Amino acid sequence: MNEKLSHYLNDVFAPYDGVKSVADLKADLLSDLQERYRELKAEGKDDETAFQMTIDSIGDIEETVQEVADLSHSLERRAVIHFSASDLQGSDFAGVIAHKRNFKASALRGSDFSGADLTGSAFVGSDVREANFDGANLTDCKLSIIDLRDSSFRQSILIRTNISKSDLTGTKFIDVRFTDVTLSMTDLRKTVMENCVFNGVDFNYSDLRGMCFDGHTFIDATFDKVALNDASFKDATLKNVSFRATHVLTNKYYRAIKTICFDGAMMDKLTYAALKGMKADLSKVTVI
Amino acid sequence: MRTNKITSDQLRGHSDTMILRLLSEADHYGYEIVKLIAERSGGDYELKEATMYSSVRRLEADGDIEWYWGDESQGGRRKYFRITDKGKATYSSNKSNWEYTKRILDKLL
Repeated sequence: MNEKLSHYLNDVFAPYDGVKSVADLKADLLSDLQERYRELKAEGKDDETAFQMTIDSIGDIEETVQEVADLSHSLERRAVIHFSASDLQGSDFAGVIAHKRNFKASALRGSDFSGADLTGSAFVGSDVREANFDGANLTDCKLSIIDLRDSSFRQSILIRTNISKSDLTGTKFIDVRFTDVTLSMTDLRKTVMENCVFNGVDFNYSDLRGMCFDGHTFIDATFDKVALNDASFKDATLKNVSFRATHVLTNKYYRAIKTICFDGAMMDKLTYAALKGMKADLSKVTVI
Repeated sequence: MRTNKITSDQLRGHSDTMILRLLSEADHYGYEIVKLIAERSGGDYELKEATMYSSVRRLEADGDIEWYWGDESQGGRRKYFRITDKGKATYSSNKSNWEYTKRILDKLL
């Protein structure tokens, strides 16, 4: 049961891995929860009840974690160097730790950010063509409204990263897990995505015509008001995925839904039912 | 639990002072703090772990409390919290502010 408790906390704290003050909070909380659980068990509660009561005693932890993380970010922020509006073409930032840095409106074409920890940094309005972000930690980064053509994101960490309205032509996302990432209002038609997992990703208003999402996994993703003609979700896994049209009265979105290939895909009942209601071709879909 | 949402919010606003009060009597670790608050309120108020740690971090940052490792003979090491002189002063001032507020509200409500 202690394992179950620490599992639960691991999930809650996952986005903040590596923030020392947050790791301390997690350890303190875990020993408190273990003690409470032991006491409830000693009072004769069964495993499930004791676990539930223990979890309930935590309260709104996300907010506290955020506060603690913000506090330590503000300490780290002391050493901030502003890179805004600089010409840094072809620079080597490989492996650096640069939290909450500001790279706004900079020329960063061809720069190497591989393996760098760029948590919370902003690249708004920059030229980041052909840059290398392989293995970089881009948690909470703002990569919106920038030129990311031909840049590479192999095994990058993308948590709450905002990539909306950016140019992603020729951008490569390989073995990437997108968690709560915003990809809205992007044109992904010439973007390369291989073996990706999309968890809570927002594709709203994006152009995904002819996109190949074969074999990808989508959990809690939203494809509302998206252009999806001829997109392919072959052998993909879809759980709790939302497809909604702009106007209930237009048939355009529904016609587009019918052109999507879902052959061999696996999906939960809710997603299946919603797509079925829109007359999508689900003849070769497995409901899980 | 009798307390509704509003009273619980009002009570939460005093978490820092509740914790300072407990620590002015003795040093405690996290779980002891939430447990003592539940006990002393006769079960009417439960301070959530999240609220408690958020208070504790704030008090620590303000220099009202500090922490040290306890030496437990068994089980993991525990972080004990201790009130500082500044914390004692904060407690007295919060407490008299509250008494003042209470006096006025008693007249007005």
